[in-house]
Amino acid sequence: MTGGPAEAGGICPTCGEPVGATDSFCESCGTELAPAVISTASPGYTPECPVCSVDPAATPGAISAEGYCESCGRKVPSGRDHAELDLGLLAGVTDRGLRHSRNEDAMGLATAATPGGQVAIAVVCDGVSSSPRPDEASLAAAQAAVRVLLTSARRGDDPAESSKAAVHSAHQALTTLSSPGESPSATYVSAVVSGDAVTVCWLGDSRAYWLPAGPDGTPARLTIDDSVAEQLIARGAMGEAEAMASPQAHVITGWLGADLSEPEPHLSRFEPVGRGVVLVCSDGLWNYRPGAAGLAELALPSALSDPLGTAASLVKFAIDAGGVDNITVVLIPFPPVSSATLPRRIAP
Amino acid sequence: MTESGFTIDIDQNQFLTEGGRDVSAIVTVTSAADATGFSGTGPAGGQTGSAEIIIIDCSGSMEYPHTKIAEARAATAAAIDVIRDGTWFAVIAGTNLAWPVFPTDGRMAVADPGSRAAARQAVAGLRAGGGTAIGQWLGLARQIFTSSPASLRHAILLTDGKNQHESQEQLAAAISQCEGVFSCDCRGVGTDWEVSELRRISTALLGTVDIVPDPAGLAADFAAMMQTAMGKQVADVALRVWTPQSATVSFVKQVAPTVDDLTARRTSRNPQAGDYPTGAWGPGESRDYHVGVEVTPAGIGQEMLAARVSLVASSPAGEEILGQGLIRAIWTDDEALSTKINSRVAHYTGQAELAEVIQEGLEARKQGDEETATAKLGRAVALAHQSGNEDTAKLLAKVVDVVDVDTGTVRLKQQVHDADEMALDTRSTKTVRARK
Repeated sequence: MTGGPAEAGGICPTCGEPVGATDSFCESCGTELAPAVISTASPGYTPECPVCSVDPAATPGAISAEGYCESCGRKVPSGRDHAELDLGLLAGVTDRGLRHSRNEDAMGLATAATPGGQVAIAVVCDGVSSSPRPDEASLAAAQAAVRVLLTSARRGDDPAESSKAAVHSAHQALTTLSSPGESPSATYVSAVVSGDAVTVCWLGDSRAYWLPAGPDGTPARLTIDDSVAEQLIARGAMGEAEAMASPQAHVITGWLGADLSEPEPHLSRFEPVGRGVVLVCSDGLWNYRPGAAGLAELALPSALSDPLGTAASLVKFAIDAGGVDNITVVLIPFPPVSSATLPRRIAP
Repeated sequence: MTESGFTIDIDQNQFLTEGGRDVSAIVTVTSAADATGFSGTGPAGGQTGSAEIIIIDCSGSMEYPHTKIAEARAATAAAIDVIRDGTWFAVIAGTNLAWPVFPTDGRMAVADPGSRAAARQAVAGLRAGGGTAIGQWLGLARQIFTSSPASLRHAILLTDGKNQHESQEQLAAAISQCEGVFSCDCRGVGTDWEVSELRRISTALLGTVDIVPDPAGLAADFAAMMQTAMGKQVADVALRVWTPQSATVSFVKQVAPTVDDLTARRTSRNPQAGDYPTGAWGPGESRDYHVGVEVTPAGIGQEMLAARVSLVASSPAGEEILGQGLIRAIWTDDEALSTKINSRVAHYTGQAELAEVIQEGLEARKQGDEETATAKLGRAVALAHQSGNEDTAKLLAKVVDVVDVDTGTVRLKQQVHDADEMALDTRSTKTVRARK
């Protein structure tokens, strides 16, 4: 057991008054001290045309309200196309990839300093392309879920129960987005990492892996996809390689959306025995390296000390391999210990 | 519906294969059925805002048979009866000259029971005699229209003969001077007039053209045309098409309710935008346009706005954007996406071809080229059948004997009534609507 209440706190970024290390809100002005961060465009992000702005012969046009360059017509990156979030305890990178016109993945990260120690929280959602407005769906789901997980962690709730509550809240958010005949949908995976356990909750084919630091541990996948391929493997109809190569490998059998009356997410809890890293990702990464051992090779040992840099290099690996899908990678070193780091976000 | 009372819907397959350049979309423009949804010009009903002129052919041939001029007088009277109180109106008679029949001072009268009765009386005195110079008639109509402040200007033109007493150049010049000043529905009575001639006028002046083979049918037709004209409330509406710098508009066609190629009618607004005229709109109208744009390809996964289509109403007070839609292009290596043909684009491509092959087939038949005529009209039979265009199929069956509808195998009929051939020609552009 590591962590525990830190000796010293910091100062409130809004009013400058001292705050306790485990405070969720500033006692003086009420500012939320370690709010969840989401992979939306960062404040102050100014879109510019990717073509005209680098062409010396072109005059960059204005950007229309719909997000197109008024000069060459090109769709301008929304700010969600590439986002990097770093909370110190954990970090994530999401990218449009090479073949999709926008990034329909979303992530939400949070940290909570609790009397029981530091807790790192990550949610990754991948908008279902065959549903309407998948980009809005993934963002709404990630945003709603990470808030519930953060509030519950601060209260010290049971991570398994709060994970289910978070899915419920994400489902509510998608119901709000939906209209008759229209049901925006997304996959879902959350990880709550405390000093003694990793709690994973999911629907669909976004995944979580355990990548142990030492030579004694065995890298392992912590989730089982809701997919046709996984069903074929489970039935013994096909081996993994064969199933994944089948045309229906990516047809998912579980997701989050208003077309489901009440989602029934899968839960798993895992107690690591030594140091390591929890990897949470969308299929844009694991398509190119599905095995846990292979991913451990790519991520370790750098992920233990530099989760942001390693997440960025995993995204680059997927892009170099083809970048067919949107890619989201979150890395959470275990156990979650660090000096309290205020959230910061890096613009693309 | 938007506040303006208009909606624009875009139907397209936005996915292009690698290197793809051609983007095609069906743009559906619909006005609110509820007239109060309009923010357009003039008071409710647009009465004081609209002007009507009826142009009657009084050439000598209108006396043969004598019923022609009599029915034309009756039809004009029927149309006058439909003109609403407060509408500006006038009646013109045309031969190789043109003169105002009512009011006789060459200006416009305001409709009320008294003026309508006086106009009917003036029309009853019309006699036939003289030649045909349609350019003269149009010129006088233009002059009379500009004497009124009305913004919605519409004319009905009736003739029974060819434009024989002026040159083609004179007629063309007169038509072009009238473009944008007023709209004109043309009717040919009998079978001695030229379909292509009246179509040139009705197309340029954003109106309809049709045949009235029997003079007895004129009155009902005139009253119906006037009724439709009275329903128009927003004048001078244009489709404005914005494209990226490296893109060009390949074509803009109205495809429902009739095929009308607007491509050459572009008025440049700025280097990246041009306006295509759509004329006047009444409540509850819906028209489809087929817009083609050629773009410079971008890489796989890239998205481009290929065109922004806006509906723009112009009035002396300025411009009003009534609605807007986006035509997009996304390049993909997923063939399942890029090879999918949008069903409405396909339907209207077929309807435009149908109109084209009918006109070409009839022209070949006229030139005595039976082989081409048989091939073209056969193709038309197949297209009309496949698309469920029953009205056109019936008209075709009066000109050809159908052997096999699926393959379009036909034989030209040896005996064809002129009226049937002309009806097929004038109505060849009528399309059936493809719903989403």
